[in-house]
Amino acid sequence: MKRIMVVDDEENIRFLYREELEEEGFVVELAENGQEALEKLPLFRPDLITLDIKMPGMDGIETLKRIRETERNLPIVICSAYGEYKQDLATWASDAYVVKCADLTELKTTIRRLLRLL
Amino acid sequence: MAPHPDPYDLLKSIIHLSTSSLSTEAKLDRMLQSISDALGSDRCLLLKPGRIAENGFLSRLASEKRPLWIGEGSSFGKGEVLPEEEDLLCPTFACVPLYDEATLLGILYIAFLENRKFSPQETDLILLIAKEMEAAIRNAMAYYETSEIAREHEKKVKQFSTLWELNKALLTTVNFERIVQMTLTAITIGDGLGFNRAMLFMVNEKRRILEGMMAVGPDSAEDAGRIWSALSQRRENLSDLITQLQTTPESDSVLNSIVRGLQISLEHEQCILCRTVLEGRPFNIRLPHSDEAWLQNRCERGCSLGSEVGCYVGQHLGRDPRVYSFATVPLWGKGKVIGVILVDNLYNQNPITEEDLHFLSMFTNQAGLAIENAILYRNLEEVHRELREAQALLVHQEKMVALGELSTNIAHEIKNPLVAIGGFARRLNRTITDESHEKKYTETIIKEVARLERILDDIETYTHDDSLTFEEWDLRHIVEECLAMLSEEVHAGGIQLVKEFAEELPKVKGDYHQLKHAFSNVISNAYQAMNGKGRLSIRIHPVSKDGSSFVRVEVEDTGKGIDPENLHNIFNPFYSTKDARLGLGLPIVHKIIISHRGQIEVDNHPGEGVNFIISLPAN
Repeated sequence: MKRIMVVDDEENIRFLYREELEEEGFVVELAENGQEALEKLPLFRPDLITLDIKMPGMDGIETLKRIRETERNLPIVICSAYGEYKQDLATWASDAYVVKCADLTELKTTIRRLLRLL
Repeated sequence: MAPHPDPYDLLKSIIHLSTSSLSTEAKLDRMLQSISDALGSDRCLLLKPGRIAENGFLSRLASEKRPLWIGEGSSFGKGEVLPEEEDLLCPTFACVPLYDEATLLGILYIAFLENRKFSPQETDLILLIAKEMEAAIRNAMAYYETSEIAREHEKKVKQFSTLWELNKALLTTVNFERIVQMTLTAITIGDGLGFNRAMLFMVNEKRRILEGMMAVGPDSAEDAGRIWSALSQRRENLSDLITQLQTTPESDSVLNSIVRGLQISLEHEQCILCRTVLEGRPFNIRLPHSDEAWLQNRCERGCSLGSEVGCYVGQHLGRDPRVYSFATVPLWGKGKVIGVILVDNLYNQNPITEEDLHFLSMFTNQAGLAIENAILYRNLEEVHRELREAQALLVHQEKMVALGELSTNIAHEIKNPLVAIGGFARRLNRTITDESHEKKYTETIIKEVARLERILDDIETYTHDDSLTFEEWDLRHIVEECLAMLSEEVHAGGIQLVKEFAEELPKVKGDYHQLKHAFSNVISNAYQAMNGKGRLSIRIHPVSKDGSSFVRVEVEDTGKGIDPENLHNIFNPFYSTKDARLGLGLPIVHKIIISHRGQIEVDNHPGEGVNFIISLPAN
């Protein structure tokens, strides 16, 4: 069973993602900011991370850099409300960029593709 | 013969005649009559200088300035008498040249048929009378010259007052059209310069051509008569007349429409109009009045008047072979020729004199400056208008930036709750069976959230300047992807989809996401416009325009079209109307297409549908 960590400051979003991803058969762990994500990373050992950009405290961009210091190959999907950082992050070390949407089909497809489940 | 003429009576009568108010001719006739009566001569004439043939005896007398007395006892060598002088050779005659300093005024000739001799008293009397006649003729000439000068002055004064009136009229406006109209009216009006027709051609320096601007003049002799008699009824002064006449222009005259269509390259150096510009001087052209001359040697414009005098555009202007003379004058601006005025007297056939031309030049020099000022003023107005528009645009753009920031902030705040609402509604929806009554509620929530998300996307796309990634794309491929994305609408039925895609199509360079966004907006719009039934035609084909090639995508619906009132605002963001289609969708399409250096045209048929025509430059 693949393990996914969802990092997002919005409780409702975390709740929604957990429900949806668990239903897809993943093991889900939640973090509400970058700091918490970094702390949980060595314990949970996820196969993939979904990462929000705009968060209080350590934001997604900083978090992404810090994770990459140790985890070079861990698939990370940026999940932002908007596409405005898309260009910048493409050159960084994220693996995908999904604009948040009530329809989670694109997110799920992206996750399966990165985990080679398709 | 009266053997003893009374010299005092004769002198008295001559002096009396000389100071009388008779005309010069009558004076001289009466003087000759008096001389003849007093002397009892058979013939008494004043031979005018024009009647004195060269190399005859009269011309010798004239050059020697001495009188000749022939009679009993005096000899006369006939060798130098010309045949036309022979009838002057009477048995007794006298010839006395009359002079005004060096100028010969004539020869007084007195003859008797009998052979006799002039007495010393007679010769003295004749010489005295000759002096008196000289004085009379000199006076008459002086009077003639003085009255000529007076007439000339009167004419000049009239010309200057005409010029003054015309210039006064020109000062009443800075409007180009009106100044041109008034100038040409002034040239053609009877109290002005009085030509029958006048045409103005302006120099277009960029294109190196002369462009026909305007013509004033009747189309036919009947028209001319009607206009002239109507004008002669009017009693206003000239400047008022001209300023009023411009409100009833003959802008719809055949002549005017012909002249307006004319364009003559300045490279045609043989053309009189071009020469007027290039040489900067007037031309006064008289054409031979023979029909054959017109039929020969047409110039490349087809003008048959051009053979010898250059390309007069008469054939295009008149089609009337009676045109036999015309004149052109350059129109001077500040230091350069800005146009040409062509005048003729087609209807009354009056000759155009050098003086007419001089007067015309004097007027057009003034008119040229007025016209140039009007052009400068027009340019100034143009620049002013552009500045005002630029300022309005800047203010608009600033507003847009502020509005954009505000919208982005609001949108950011709304996005997350919306995702949660929509996401859970979907989860809820999956748990409700299709038969359940509540299914409709959840589906409505899902649909409305999706709509709100689309609006937020639009706001983001419009207000946020994404850095674009330009790559080569096949527009057929992008449009197909849009159709796949809009599959719900496409497959809803009731709307027939007709695709006409060219087989060979150049690629276009653009940002994939933006292009897709633009085309899906246009296609989605079209579907919404048709309200569930109709035909959607999508045509993609290559076109070439102004030497560049484009790929053109046409999206045509059979909806109700766009209300013409809203048409000019459809690309204006945040312009709200009852028509749901006119939100941010089309402004975004517009922005994307423009940023791709493309064009978007709207072929709107209210009640029948709209065709959106998008052209993007081919790679």
